Amino acid sequence: MDLSKLPNDMKLQLCKSYFKVGCLFLPFVWAVNVCWFFRDAFIKPAYDEQKLIKKFVIMSAIGAFVWAVILVTWITVYQTNRVSWGATGDALSFIVPLGRA
Amino acid sequence: MSLKHIYLLVTIILLIFKGYSCERLHELIYSSIEGSAACFRRLNGTHQTGCSTSDKGAVGVVHFVQDHDDVLWLATNASAGPYMAVVSTSKFGLVEFLIDHPTNIAGVLTYENASDIPSFFTHDTRCPNEFSSADGNQCSSSKEGGVVWNEKGTGLLKREIPFPIFFIPESRYEEIEKISHCFGRFNYDKNNQRGRSLCSIQLNSFMFAAINTEVCMRRSATSTIVTTTKVCDPLGDQNVYYSLFPRTKESKKQSITLVTARIDSASLFDGVSPGAASSVVGLVTLISAAAALAQLIPVSKSNLYETNILWTLFNGEAFDYIGSQRVAYDIKRGVWPPNAPLAPTDVKLHVEIGQIGGSLSDYVNENTWPLNAFVPTLAPSTINDGDNDIQIFLKQLSNAYNMTIPGIFNGSLPPSSIHSFRRILSNVTESGEMLEMLLVDHKETFTNVFYNSALDDSDKIAYVYKNISMINNVTFISTAELIADGLMKETDTQVKISRLATALAHALYQRVVGEAYTGNITVSAHLVDEMLYCFLKNETCKLLSAAEFGGNEGPREGAGPAPLYVGVTSWNTVAPVFAGHLLALLTGTQLSLNKSQCETKPESGYTRLWLKGWNHNGVCIETTMNFSQALSPAFIISDYDFKSGTYSTWTESVWQTMWARVFVSASGGSACVAAATGAVSTLIAALLTFWLRRHSSLIFVDPPSATIVVDDAASGILRSVNC
Repeated sequence: MDLSKLPNDMKLQLCKSYFKVGCLFLPFVWAVNVCWFFRDAFIKPAYDEQKLIKKFVIMSAIGAFVWAVILVTWITVYQTNRVSWGATGDALSFIVPLGRA
Repeated sequence: MSLKHIYLLVTIILLIFKGYSCERLHELIYSSIEGSAACFRRLNGTHQTGCSTSDKGAVGVVHFVQDHDDVLWLATNASAGPYMAVVSTSKFGLVEFLIDHPTNIAGVLTYENASDIPSFFTHDTRCPNEFSSADGNQCSSSKEGGVVWNEKGTGLLKREIPFPIFFIPESRYEEIEKISHCFGRFNYDKNNQRGRSLCSIQLNSFMFAAINTEVCMRRSATSTIVTTTKVCDPLGDQNVYYSLFPRTKESKKQSITLVTARIDSASLFDGVSPGAASSVVGLVTLISAAAALAQLIPVSKSNLYETNILWTLFNGEAFDYIGSQRVAYDIKRGVWPPNAPLAPTDVKLHVEIGQIGGSLSDYVNENTWPLNAFVPTLAPSTINDGDNDIQIFLKQLSNAYNMTIPGIFNGSLPPSSIHSFRRILSNVTESGEMLEMLLVDHKETFTNVFYNSALDDSDKIAYVYKNISMINNVTFISTAELIADGLMKETDTQVKISRLATALAHALYQRVVGEAYTGNITVSAHLVDEMLYCFLKNETCKLLSAAEFGGNEGPREGAGPAPLYVGVTSWNTVAPVFAGHLLALLTGTQLSLNKSQCETKPESGYTRLWLKGWNHNGVCIETTMNFSQALSPAFIISDYDFKSGTYSTWTESVWQTMWARVFVSASGGSACVAAATGAVSTLIAALLTFWLRRHSSLIFVDPPSATIVVDDAASGILRSVNC
């Protein structure tokens, strides 16, 4: 879909619905929202709907960032501590590596 | 012909002549090493033992190791990356040094050479099954002093080894010659190896399990949404038991003499565990003694006597006494034997046939075969009366054997199944209600210096197959006749074993009947010869083709003897089945029933088997022989603490494939050139593509506009629509 061919109110609609979908524990949708509408929100010359689009893009960015921090922290903790957690570590794992701890 | 026809013809020709090999070009550089046996991983409650490689295998440059200088060079001066040491079994002690300095070692390939037999080769610990032994055992690996049973033991069987070890048996010596030629051509110049093409070996034995039994059993058992991969299996198999008189819940004699031996052996390498001196001699003695006693006292006379004899073969004894621990545990719970359980107080005497095979090669030119009987320390009140039951039995046995078997009363007890009974049924063993006696051929340390190893084969018990034909295919020639006819000599292993089995049968006869045996039934050395052949040389043999299931097809293409390793519990090995069926064939009564009648429920106390029989036409045998599960109690007790050390916790890792192959590695120079060429050509291609896209309008001339000139209104409309 080419954003340049859409009227501005449809762009706002799209941005809003992507934001709403991202609330369903889908941080990547928020990240996509940010990348896709970044130009329209910050670089294009001002138009009516731009204020709202900017708001949604910023909120998506914050949301994606928070998710990224949480995920990176959890992944680091898990990867470094899985072996020392013993049985709990195995219970948390979907794929347990073969042939080693 | 047109082009299309030519293509068709070429395709058809290619399809017809499928002689081309479908191997990838990359695979053609390897030459596979066939017939190797790998060291694999076992785990117990607290540790992992054995060897493993990474998923992709281990690669190392070949180096033949002959003496200590070679291993020193490998550990300190060698420069061309990880090495694969190739060492003969006679120099296997050098591997110990490599294990201590493993940084430059990728693996070890060891081979058997008939002209260079090692003087000892045993990898069990110096005190076998030390942690499953009863109190009073003086053999300890940590403390000094005391007796050491397996003097030459390296303990590698129960230790973790940092690299893979593969074993090439004598029959595959040509593989070693292949490697030796390759080594001579490429690796000869030790000091200038870096950067050249070198002969290398890749070994792969990737093991799935890790850490210890508790972890691997937990990982094998988790029930997630997706099916889990099993990573390890508990060790286990079947025990075999056979009673002289039938036992049922209602009519069972209260006095039992338990005569036992072990049936399993072990070794570092998968599939190679002959166990000649470690187990087969005891196994054959037990089976032939049981067969003789069944003739001496027929089942019909069972009402006359009060004592029953229960012959049992334990499996898994090499790994913390799996079989005997399970039987002792079951007796304590009152569920063994399954159809007519006995109580611990029923067993008045337990005679175990222990390590008796080691000295056969020492006495190869003599008629004698000295034995000893260890009697574990009794409670003070029962020691040293001359009328002690054990001393009486020992005297009867010595008389029958024509040679004194001295009793050793205050010594430490050698590794044997008796330890399990003393630990688990301590009530009856310590009070002296169950007397125990262990028959061995050594006093202080084992005479068997190949204990539980891959080299414990028929040569180590001085056994040579005589290949004597049976009378009418049914009867065995008696020992006296064989010696008189010159077919066997008094110094032959077969004759010695038959004499011991005869002595055991006669002594047990005296114990049951109350009087010494005066007849002339003895164990035939011919039968012993055939049995040793079946278990040590080739499982396609006369005895086993008569003793196998009647429904089986003709003789298997047996490539040697069945290995005696206990194996995993989910896969029953053939050795106990052979032993059980042999017992049934030699001691059971033949019924004149056909196959379908044979499968009906037998009288209680018996099982019925449809076996091939001596004429291979099928025969129905009624016997008191049966099998019971030899799985450690650790795996049947729910929530068992695997670190407690009460029962055996051995498991074996699961693996997918184990292979070895030899190739010549690319020299460092050519590999760099190839990599550089690849990188440069990728870069050039990328730049070219980028430049072409940039200037595409200059390079590619636009094609003339569509030449389809159609003169109607529709085409005008088509041209105006812009998709």
